[in-house]
Amino acid sequence: MRMRDRAIPHAMACAMLSHAITCAMLCLCGCTQQDDARPERTRARAQEAPGDAPVEADARWWSPGDDRVFPRALSYANESGVVTTLNLAGPTATAGHPFFTPLGDNGRACVTCHQPADGMSLSLASIRERWDATRGGDPLFATIDGANCPSLPRGERASHSLLLERGVLRIARPWPPRDAQGTPITPEFTLEVVRDPAGCNLDPVHGLRSATPTVSVYRRPRPATNLKYVTAVGFAFDPKNGLPMPLDPETGTRTSGNVLSDVRAPTLAAQARDAMRTHLALHGDVDPAQLAAILAFEQQLFTAQSRTTVAGSLSEAGARGGPELLASAEAGVLQGSSDPIWSELIAWKDLPVPNAADAQAARRRSIGRGAALFSTRTFLVTSAAGVTDLGFGNPVRNSCAFCHNMHRVGLDVAPGQVDIGTSNEPAASESDKKPVTDLPLFKLTCREGARAHPHLGRVIFTHDPGYALTTGKCIDIGKITAQQMRGLAARAPYFAHGGAKTLRELVDFYDTRFEIELSDLEKDDLTHFLEAL
Amino acid sequence: MRPALWLSLFLTLSLPRMHAHAQASAIGTTRSFVGCAIYRDTDLGRKSGCWLVDDPADGSRFDVSFAPNKPREGQAVWVEGVVTADPDLCGGTVLKAVRVSVLPAPCPVVRVPPEGHKGRPSPPPVDVLPPTRVPRTLPPPPYEPRTFTIYFEHGRDFLIYQHAEVVLEKAQLYAQASGARSVAITGFAATEPLVISGHTLAEDLVLAEARAAMAAEALRRLGVPPALLRISVAGAPAPTDLENGKLPESSKRRVTITVTP
Repeated sequence: MRMRDRAIPHAMACAMLSHAITCAMLCLCGCTQQDDARPERTRARAQEAPGDAPVEADARWWSPGDDRVFPRALSYANESGVVTTLNLAGPTATAGHPFFTPLGDNGRACVTCHQPADGMSLSLASIRERWDATRGGDPLFATIDGANCPSLPRGERASHSLLLERGVLRIARPWPPRDAQGTPITPEFTLEVVRDPAGCNLDPVHGLRSATPTVSVYRRPRPATNLKYVTAVGFAFDPKNGLPMPLDPETGTRTSGNVLSDVRAPTLAAQARDAMRTHLALHGDVDPAQLAAILAFEQQLFTAQSRTTVAGSLSEAGARGGPELLASAEAGVLQGSSDPIWSELIAWKDLPVPNAADAQAARRRSIGRGAALFSTRTFLVTSAAGVTDLGFGNPVRNSCAFCHNMHRVGLDVAPGQVDIGTSNEPAASESDKKPVTDLPLFKLTCREGARAHPHLGRVIFTHDPGYALTTGKCIDIGKITAQQMRGLAARAPYFAHGGAKTLRELVDFYDTRFEIELSDLEKDDLTHFLEAL
Repeated sequence: MRPALWLSLFLTLSLPRMHAHAQASAIGTTRSFVGCAIYRDTDLGRKSGCWLVDDPADGSRFDVSFAPNKPREGQAVWVEGVVTADPDLCGGTVLKAVRVSVLPAPCPVVRVPPEGHKGRPSPPPVDVLPPTRVPRTLPPPPYEPRTFTIYFEHGRDFLIYQHAEVVLEKAQLYAQASGARSVAITGFAATEPLVISGHTLAEDLVLAEARAAMAAEALRRLGVPPALLRISVAGAPAPTDLENGKLPESSKRRVTITVTP
């Protein structure tokens, strides 16, 4: 049942809350929090959806150029409950704001792929809704990356199949790879296209044999929120390559390595510039004032699930779920056995369940058990490059929190470039029992003298070379940076390639890949816990 | 490495055997051998589990779990370590001060259950780098030339996690505190061929250069001015006093960083 179909009476919701901000978050009219400063148009829209009325589609989707106000707290229903984004700067007029304004010539803005209702990312459900509502006319479907290849005819469903089926956008990487200064580097491997169902890697204009040789891979947008965690540097050294994290030449500060899935842009500023020039089709120089406004805005946002349909509020009865804790907590802190990750929800694992019919108490206990399992249920982590080749041994016994170890968000403090098997064969096809047939397949052959991939040798078949498209190294083939884990329920599907359609599928993937042998109860607990993030 | 030797290792692991403990090895002596790793899954929490390697010379089974760099199943390892009388919790004689180098040669994958062996929780590293949020304290005077040494796996320039980084930061802090005039980095490679368990092992001199380059890049990223860095390389190095001189071969795979105030 979707949350929007069973709205909670406003007064009752507020009575459950500990303070006014949380109360504001739970207004399930949600998308437009009451605010005296907002302009007429926004106020009118709120009046169209009074009280506990479900969120209307036109209010749920933020189109570029909309004249709206992004309030201090903004909540949206999703299938698991409610996701809330805090805007620490308070109500922000979006008219003319560069995050909400088309900056290039394809009509898109940052908000196109970073939607508040989708945890500041973009859900497959929203993509499909936009397709149906606009018959493919929304700027989201710009062919530069919203089609499988820019050469395909816009508006035909088949041209956009990867976006409509997996929720992935095309990411065009130069071949050979280039360093941070844009100078081509000699990769340690050759790259051949084995299969190209989307047609772009063999395309004469956009492919590897074009005048500007390009590798096309397909990935989900990452959330533009909770960014103090994404940029936090918990430790100076990256154990995955043994070196200290690089310094940002613009600011002299150390970079985190957690901003993008392949680290092609090491800072938020670099990411924003890259996104403007590619996804937004901005030509010419980036306006420094616009860049500064985008960075300021996205860094004042904190997002988390604030309610689930069964458990209710996630910030009561001893739990501290929801986004407020994210806003106030220190970023970049490594969890440990005496200070386990997800302590904000573990408290519920021992919650009394007065009677079997108390579904809310039972679900809260399940969430708490799942939060505890995350760091206590150990298994053998096997042949995951970026983890099992660092000196820990292969295999190494550990838990989910081995890699997802940063308090509050589950990022990897290390940082998180790991090959868990979503990209590289054979794991990519074997782990979920479903062969991958719609993504490109590349054959990468390591050159003589290069250090081979630690677990897959010198010839690797992959759907996405990942980090290796940035470093050119064999050991990095198929590594994808671990994602933050907040707001998951709002932004299915999961993994960079969108391969897990639900959180249960995500749990099943890990269970199969690492032969964990989770019980059905453990799977339920982990799924309920992930829904509550 | 010759295929016949790996076949011999495979047979050693595959056939039913009465594994011998190293009763013949005197406590405190150094054992150096190449073998295939066995993972014993004693589940005592995170990073627990035993790593065992048989010395093909006499079939003795050693517990190498204390190595800072653990084996990888399916690959051969070169072990150098000191025999101890520590309790056998894993099914092998415990080596301490032990170093493991993962070699590219393949081995059979062998995982075994506890088989009554208790195992032990993962031993914490001797020294770890604190988080960035912890303020650093500069070393006090007197400041005089001081040398810092980091060690490597055979055949690699990788800076070993929770070991090299601690030394590198100490060198950087000392350079900062002492107002260093130069930071001399010398990379070494064990270029003289050595026969271990019938296998000839030698490093290329180019590895000395790569190791020095890694150390220099790490120091540069930690804030040591590049103008201070002086890089040189050397082959066929003499052993150092690593682990009281008990690991002569491992000690040759090193980089020295000499900070001169």
